[in-house]
Amino acid sequence: MTVERLADWLANTNPGFFILVAALFVPFARNNAVRAILMVGGPAVALVALISAEGLGSNLSSVNVLGLELILYRPDSLSFLFGLAFIIAAALFGIYSLHRRDPLQDTTAMLYAGAAVTAVFVGDLVSLFIAWELTAITSVFQVLAPRSQESVRTAMRYLVFQISSGMLVLAGICMFVAATGQTQFAHIAPSMAGLPVGVMDINAPGAVLILAGFGIKAAFPMVHNWLQDAYPKTTETGAVVLSAFTTKLAVYALARYFAGLEWLIWIGAIMTVFPVFFAVIENDLRRVLAYSLNNQVGFMVCAVGIGTQLAVNGAVAHAFAHIMYKALLFMSMGAVLYRVGSTKATDLGGLHRTMPWTTLFCLVGAASISALPLFSGFVAKSMVMTASHADPALFVVWLMLLFASAGVLEHSGIKIPYFAFFGHDSGKRPQEAPFNMLLAMGIAAALCILIGVMPGWLYQLLPFERAASEFLSSDLWTAPHVLQQVQLLVFATLAFMLLQWRQLYPAEQPGVIIDVEWLWRRGWPDLVSATGRPFRHATRAVGASADAAGNWVSRLARQVFAPEGWVSVKVPLSVTAVASLAILGLVLAISLFA
Amino acid sequence: MSENEKKPEAPLGEPGEHPLSVLLFSWMRGKMFLRVFAIALGLVGLASIGLEFWLSHKPIKGVTSMPGFYAGFGFIAFALAVLSGWPLGKLLRRREDYYETRSGEAGRDR
Repeated sequence: MTVERLADWLANTNPGFFILVAALFVPFARNNAVRAILMVGGPAVALVALISAEGLGSNLSSVNVLGLELILYRPDSLSFLFGLAFIIAAALFGIYSLHRRDPLQDTTAMLYAGAAVTAVFVGDLVSLFIAWELTAITSVFQVLAPRSQESVRTAMRYLVFQISSGMLVLAGICMFVAATGQTQFAHIAPSMAGLPVGVMDINAPGAVLILAGFGIKAAFPMVHNWLQDAYPKTTETGAVVLSAFTTKLAVYALARYFAGLEWLIWIGAIMTVFPVFFAVIENDLRRVLAYSLNNQVGFMVCAVGIGTQLAVNGAVAHAFAHIMYKALLFMSMGAVLYRVGSTKATDLGGLHRTMPWTTLFCLVGAASISALPLFSGFVAKSMVMTASHADPALFVVWLMLLFASAGVLEHSGIKIPYFAFFGHDSGKRPQEAPFNMLLAMGIAAALCILIGVMPGWLYQLLPFERAASEFLSSDLWTAPHVLQQVQLLVFATLAFMLLQWRQLYPAEQPGVIIDVEWLWRRGWPDLVSATGRPFRHATRAVGASADAAGNWVSRLARQVFAPEGWVSVKVPLSVTAVASLAILGLVLAISLFA
Repeated sequence: MSENEKKPEAPLGEPGEHPLSVLLFSWMRGKMFLRVFAIALGLVGLASIGLEFWLSHKPIKGVTSMPGFYAGFGFIAFALAVLSGWPLGKLLRRREDYYETRSGEAGRDR
């Protein structure tokens, strides 16, 4: 194969394919160097393929299957940033997990990443569904990775949600395709300013089912708990890879098919607010991060619902920045889990003395997620806030988002670093995280700062570049905008200090916080048990009578046939002889007259 | 330990402490740190309100465009979120093995 043909093949192949292929070789890598090459090299080749893509907005690769044209590779400016973020996250995971060897988890994590990258670059509903399901199946192995009885139960619950999501999407696609005959999103509906975004009409057949399927994966309220259930129970590396892909793939799908759908504004706003209250009282810091993930995805869903060019830009930029800082925060908690064995706030505190690098990287992640100016969250979230503030009809939504911004500072900006690394000294002096973990955290932290200090390159890659550059030049760095954000964060921090000083901050306590999962983990079983109780009583009564009768027969039989029983009683010989004659006479009578 | 006895001060760099920790974080262990930090933070906050007031040229339309709105909102929202933890904790917190008991799902596996 010539170099030109190789370059041509690279430019016309879905980048996810390279990660998928690399993943298949991971189980056979006998030494760490080969493993490192595969786990970092796969995403690196995918990155080269993405950069060398021949044209955005055109079908670069397709195949005909059963009369359907599947578009395997159709990059555009919406999928580009999602794909780039997924590839970076895959590489970070590759580096972060080099300290330990678990071929099953590594392979499935790479397949999961490859499937997610594939999903954002395909150009039709059927291919999206196939990649979507592959992410569901491969991600379950991350939940199973601790190999405990609890992880099996958690994985089954997780699987129910993931497969339900897939089934809803499949049913919706079947209805939609049967009614319209269209699968390619470029043909489904007119696009927004030349970019196919928000292509599906919610009144189209099957659209509501597709939206519901996407909603489960985005962890919409009431179907959100699979996230808080599964992510904190996996290994130190599993949570990192899980945090990057599933929910952001759902955000991508929502932006692609449902941008501008008003329902999403309110769903997103609710998603930003309710996790704040759960995160305040949660003791497990990885579970706090899972609630925080819910809250951050809410900002993206809300922005997708607003649907203006600035809002869609905000959703995409926020997804990109969020993948980096959330991975960073999960990596720092993963390092704590790896060294201490727990991420419960009641078990931690004072770890900065021996884990200063991890502390520092965690603080960068905390500053980023809190949207401190010069960190990535600020440049991304600002677009969402400005887009919601621009419409007077969304005043309440804007207030909800502003409240959620203060809440983010509480649970991710302060609670995570404070209770893990500062706060009360737990007396634990663990070793610093392994070098590969620190390297992955360092790269993620550098990206968070790079995006925050020089957002121009990120803005250039956003779907609606003109709207992004206008925002950058006229809004982002204006004094009132920066000052308002500084005020929000400074006075929220002062509130934290005041509440701590007055001992009004609720102390961390061990225990589980019940959420909507209570319905299927306790409520439903208890209901089934309660409704079945009368039948159980009746069955028990009949069973008890049968048992009593059986016992009586058994006792009688023992009395009759036991060694000391009635038939064994010694009787005089004459009685035996008379009895024998009586039996003989009876037999004779029967034989004569029968 | 009697109340009159002085507690030994925490050394800036305890044995086994990472040098980077001493460099980056040991200054936080001073007695006055929290007070100084709070005062500095308050001054930054007040300065930001003053600057916003000074720089605002647009007429004030409603509460949200008033200088200091974000400061007040941030303080109240944060306090509200944290203080809600008291009743919510009582309402929603259960013991660690809540789902592992006989009536929970793990119990049914036994």
